[in-house]
Amino acid sequence: MSTADISSQRHPAPDLEGTGTPVDTGFESADPRARTVQLFEQLAGSDDVEKQEALRNEIVRLHLPLVDHLARRFRNRGEPLDDLVQVGTIGLIKSVDRFELTRGVEFSTYATPTVIGEIKRYFRDKGWAVRVPRRLQELRLSLASASADLTQELGRSPTVGELAERLELNQDAVLEGLESANAYNTLSLDAPDNGESERQTMVESLAADDEALEGVEYRESLKPLLTALAPREKLILMLRFFHGMTQSQIAQEVGISQMHVSRILSRTLAQLRTSLLDH
Amino acid sequence: MSRHQVALTVPADSSYVALLRATTAGVAARLDFTLDDIDDLRLAVDEACGLLLRQARPESTLFCGFRMAEPHLSIDVTAQADSPRLPPRDGFAWTVLTSLAGDVHASVDEDSVTLTLSRKREGATP
Repeated sequence: MSTADISSQRHPAPDLEGTGTPVDTGFESADPRARTVQLFEQLAGSDDVEKQEALRNEIVRLHLPLVDHLARRFRNRGEPLDDLVQVGTIGLIKSVDRFELTRGVEFSTYATPTVIGEIKRYFRDKGWAVRVPRRLQELRLSLASASADLTQELGRSPTVGELAERLELNQDAVLEGLESANAYNTLSLDAPDNGESERQTMVESLAADDEALEGVEYRESLKPLLTALAPREKLILMLRFFHGMTQSQIAQEVGISQMHVSRILSRTLAQLRTSLLDH
Repeated sequence: MSRHQVALTVPADSSYVALLRATTAGVAARLDFTLDDIDDLRLAVDEACGLLLRQARPESTLFCGFRMAEPHLSIDVTAQADSPRLPPRDGFAWTVLTSLAGDVHASVDEDSVTLTLSRKREGATP
């Protein structure tokens, strides 16, 4: 990026408040910009911790549409939008803590690079467990989206041949892409449960699922292992093996890609196998 | 030996199971199985190998044979064992295996144990 690109920082603040702002924040409310300035002024002038907290919360809430807007730019890259919004919100909170009104920059302008930076970092950190050539990464992403599209159109998951035809690739290339997908790591088994409402309902549904395990000799050895699984892993395992849902159906139910379901199942089973052996 | 047969023998070591998984995917794709089914079969082979490797004789080999007879795919996984025994049918691994592969058959002879997974292609247009 050339030095000319940062010349905008020399513009007086009012210029940035105007139409020249590069980010469409999607704000609909009366005048969130003025309200933001007001809130930051109150925040700077307040010594009350509780009051400060409330002000920070309101600023964050006010800018959630911005995070949503920015996160959507990274849609279709193989990560659930919800997760992107979540990490983007972390970027937003960081921006609130670091922002200073005296700089004369509008808050949304200031926050945008931080939010985007946080989302990009997420892709970098949670991305490929093994270094995979860019060509394969891109192939995997187009496979994921073509596979989702075809599943919709066909009402079942596609064959390799159908995927190859859709992507105008040969079948070997598709298979190669599917194999490389196994090197992609998005969710750690040790990932803490973030207590999202969506997961909450999953956890609730799991209690009933335990009955589905009746008849399987599991109490002594398996139950503690299942309990140790993260809720999402356990749910996917239950849906596949005790409710007979297909991977595509689970993908839809849980809101992740079929490839992701496949990876989670494969890893969870491997983990259970190892743990059962140790027993 | 039928023309539509693929066989692979690998060391009885979990690090070689990935090779069998990849082959499974390739074979199932040739038969126009859907991605769901391909992944199921891949997991099933994984699980079968896991079950068999528990009793495999050290330094022995794991045999994996694929028989393709449209629209069926049968996979034999055989491990050599000193005192071969059938995997428990009430275990979790067996539950997993049967939901993944559809039809699972286990057999033993004096020095080996074989799991046969059979899956019929469904859904896909012929």
